[in-house]
Amino acid sequence: MASHRCLLLKGVKSMSGINPVVGTKDVKPKKPKKQKSSALYKQEHRVAFLFVLAPVIGFLLFSVYPFAYSIYASFTDWNGLNRMNFIGLDNFVKLFQDPYFYQTLYNTVFYMIGIPIGLGLALLLAIALNRGLRGTTFFRTVYYIPVISSLAAISIMWAWAYNGDFGLVNQVLEVFGIKGPNWLENKATVKPAIILMAVWKGLGYSMLLYLAAIQSVSKSFYEAADLDGANSYQKFLNITWPMVKPVTFFLVITNIIGGFQIFTEINIMTPTGGPEYSAASIVWYVWQKAFKYYQMGYGSAMSLILFVFIFIVTVIQFYLNRKSDYSLD
Amino acid sequence: MKKLNLLLSILLVASMVLLGACSSKSSGNSDEKEITFMFRGGEDEKTAYTAAIKKFEEQHEGVKVKIINTDADQYSTKLSAAVSGGNVPDVFYLDSGSIANYVDNGIIRDITEDVEKADFDLNSLWQFGVDIYRYDGDTSGKGALYGLPKDVGPFALGYNKDMFEKAGIPIPDKDKAYTWDEFLKVSQDLTQDTDGDGEVDQWASGFNATWSLQSFAYSNGASFLNEAGDKVTVDTPEFAKSLQFFSDLSNKYNTTPNSSQAETLDTYQRWMNGELAFFPVGPWDMSTYAKLDFEYDLMPWPSGDAGKSVAYVGSLGLVVSEMTQYPELATELAIYLSADEEAQQTLLDAQVQIPNLVDMAEEWASDTESVPSNKQEFLDIVQDYGVPYPTFATYNSQWLDEFWTNITPVVQGKKTAEEYLKEIQPKMQKLLDEANEQAKMSK
Repeated sequence: MASHRCLLLKGVKSMSGINPVVGTKDVKPKKPKKQKSSALYKQEHRVAFLFVLAPVIGFLLFSVYPFAYSIYASFTDWNGLNRMNFIGLDNFVKLFQDPYFYQTLYNTVFYMIGIPIGLGLALLLAIALNRGLRGTTFFRTVYYIPVISSLAAISIMWAWAYNGDFGLVNQVLEVFGIKGPNWLENKATVKPAIILMAVWKGLGYSMLLYLAAIQSVSKSFYEAADLDGANSYQKFLNITWPMVKPVTFFLVITNIIGGFQIFTEINIMTPTGGPEYSAASIVWYVWQKAFKYYQMGYGSAMSLILFVFIFIVTVIQFYLNRKSDYSLD
Repeated sequence: MKKLNLLLSILLVASMVLLGACSSKSSGNSDEKEITFMFRGGEDEKTAYTAAIKKFEEQHEGVKVKIINTDADQYSTKLSAAVSGGNVPDVFYLDSGSIANYVDNGIIRDITEDVEKADFDLNSLWQFGVDIYRYDGDTSGKGALYGLPKDVGPFALGYNKDMFEKAGIPIPDKDKAYTWDEFLKVSQDLTQDTDGDGEVDQWASGFNATWSLQSFAYSNGASFLNEAGDKVTVDTPEFAKSLQFFSDLSNKYNTTPNSSQAETLDTYQRWMNGELAFFPVGPWDMSTYAKLDFEYDLMPWPSGDAGKSVAYVGSLGLVVSEMTQYPELATELAIYLSADEEAQQTLLDAQVQIPNLVDMAEEWASDTESVPSNKQEFLDIVQDYGVPYPTFATYNSQWLDEFWTNITPVVQGKKTAEEYLKEIQPKMQKLLDEANEQAKMSK
């Protein structure tokens, strides 16, 4: 999900990147301006404009318009079925008094504990796979399979695995004499259980990016370090880690954005939000309000707040990253 | 230049069409009438309805029915999207609890007259199944008719006949419900260690509160909601007693598997393995339960101080869009789907629902040879002691969900029923007030 979003962003960027190209084209024929043979050029220019128009219309229609619509809806009592009545800031006032809003926000942030864990494991795996041992391709495939699997299918499978009586997880624990809890029905274990699954699912993707980053580090750095007598820990800390930093940055951002939007796992594994709402994420709550309880306006208000959160977090990250030596490009 | 202008205008038109497609109905061929039917359901329903629709098309020349089938999970989301996009299907499934809401918002059609005009006797259907789709603008259950039942779903109590015989306990009387004391006594007798390894491996029950508590509470004279639908009434001694009894079955008397689990999946599996004596049975379960290794039958739910069994009965409806171009035709299709004998027979043969047609159902229930032999219990629930889900007449279900969301400590025996009910009532009341407020605003 996160990666799609990013592609979209890139798409927008490269779209805006077209303009300068057209612009430079613009400059060239301008020199022999008096030639007035710009008819062909004009025509081509218009065709180019059409090509640009297609994605722009798509963007306006499917991103800007719904976005604006939902901003407006957040100031209304819209139930999703009928007319909207403007009610000003009522939704937001109610929102900040809603204990479940805070609870689900807390849960959502809690799930992000999985991000550093996942990235750490992915980096370790990437380093291990980079050693050129036998079976590397095999393991690379193994770790990547969860990434290409359907999230819904994976969630159902893990829900079975976490079942208190017959689940695989508890059966394995029993071999070691541990009596496992009913993972998804227990307030204390439901979030860690979902985090574990999310880490497992995302591992392959991060690992592959790290692997690519590690492999593109110039060998000469390591050779120089060898000559200076650096040990492998020093090499990691001073060469590998800084060199893969752009990838880390990219992964942290996309993971946080994706983390804020966690929904499918929650909806499938804990369809009622878990015991005492201990598993409910914010997007899940938005969906519940909008589609189950007929409070589309309230749901829109909540998603607007969520948007602001994501936006602020991302801006901070970009700012922090700009201060470091390495950038995304 | 001209070519370009042409191209531009084509693009413009194309995008307008794209936009327009969302809001306008596809009219298609002008002399062919097309009605859309949106539903959800498994293979059996698809087969039954496809056949019924084919017959409908044969009888109505120039009419085509477009079928839209979705996953059960996706249905409500898809329907909401269709409604807010102004593209409501002509005939579609709607949960009986959403009728008032959809009427208030002008989405579904009053079909009273069209049904009267049609060659069809409304009395051939269950009265419960028809009345639940009535609404007079204020109270659900009476007034104009807005839908017909796709099915009625009585939630009966089943028991494992073999287990009773093995334990030498007389099987439950199908006409006289257990009192709670009797139910408890039998439950304790049936909870056993059958292989003598020191661990209990056979239990009496293992109910999911969400679907079963209603029976316990209501048969004890308690309720979730007052008649007027504006007050949450869970803070009564009767309610506390029923919830406490429900919890005690697990935590005090240990007649259910593992007290920390109310998750039905587990008890469902155990029931199918023959480890449980009692388990709820809906008509949709019959096809699965036909393959059980033991014989099961139906009985009335145990009754509390009110002295009468109460069971939950649900219903999914067939409704007609207010915006349909062919109201009469659409109503006729709804009638077909609800009451066509062949379609009902297909569904009956598939053992996924009881027939909507009273005569057919009674004939089916009179066969006491096949399992479950007491099929009459299903019909009794529909005709006599069934009640709709508590949220049936409220704007949304949030007030009751609040109750289920926080019930775990009680079910696990970590909190007393009285304590819990006292603390949850105001929260539920607040959500109910909000819902009622919203209902008023959307009228």
